[in-house]
Amino acid sequence: MDVPELLSNILFLIGSVFFLAGTIGLLRFPDVYTRLHALAKVDNLGLGFTVLGLLIQAPGVLPALKLILIWLLALLASATANFLIAQRAFNRGIVPWDASESEK
Amino acid sequence: MILGAILWRSVLLAMLWCILAEGNVGSWGVGAISTALALAASLAVLPVGAIRFSPLGLVFFLIYFISKSFRAGVRVALLAVQPRLDIHPGIETVSLRLPNGVGRVILINTINLLPGTLVLGLNASTLQLHVLDMRSSIEGEIRIAEKRIAKMLGLSLDQS
Repeated sequence: MDVPELLSNILFLIGSVFFLAGTIGLLRFPDVYTRLHALAKVDNLGLGFTVLGLLIQAPGVLPALKLILIWLLALLASATANFLIAQRAFNRGIVPWDASESEK
Repeated sequence: MILGAILWRSVLLAMLWCILAEGNVGSWGVGAISTALALAASLAVLPVGAIRFSPLGLVFFLIYFISKSFRAGVRVALLAVQPRLDIHPGIETVSLRLPNGVGRVILINTINLLPGTLVLGLNASTLQLHVLDMRSSIEGEIRIAEKRIAKMLGLSLDQS
């Protein structure tokens, strides 16, 4: 394995750690709002590191820019979806989970 | 000035198409039409002169966004995997100082992408946030993001 390949594998690994942590958060966190927090990280950092790893091995400047564009578009979609879900939940009166309540 | 802005946007959008097509010359027929439509949409959504875009501001914003994402992301990831679920979520209301429009949209998207903060709703002058960990102050963070965005877009912050 040469150096660029090793470097991208390390970046893939870091990305997958964020994917894993985000998924664990999605399963463990108590309500819709806290789960959305976990997801923001997956798109932002998980995909971010994956794209970074791919960039190292990109065959040229244009494909590399395209990878960055894909990341930006995924971020935009994620942020918008997050906002719509959170706003809808809040407007429907779903009360956020509270740490002090759960201890009762 | 308007012609200059239109020219700039056309060049940027054509570059975008070039990236999408990966430099394939055969697709420029479709590309020209797409670029023209995108230009029309961009003029409708963001009129010329609404913002004064600063490339240096963009660089500072990206540095801020990436470093902040990473630090906040590591924190939220640790919260998610540690054996005892140690989160203290809550709602916080923060005043909005950016003028209505593209600046606010970018602020809301930034807040949603930064791990640990989520926008629940907004009205003319305030922003309601859901915060994953209420033990750290969030208002200072929002002020920093606001300042970076205002600088990037050449907007002035409402001092009230």
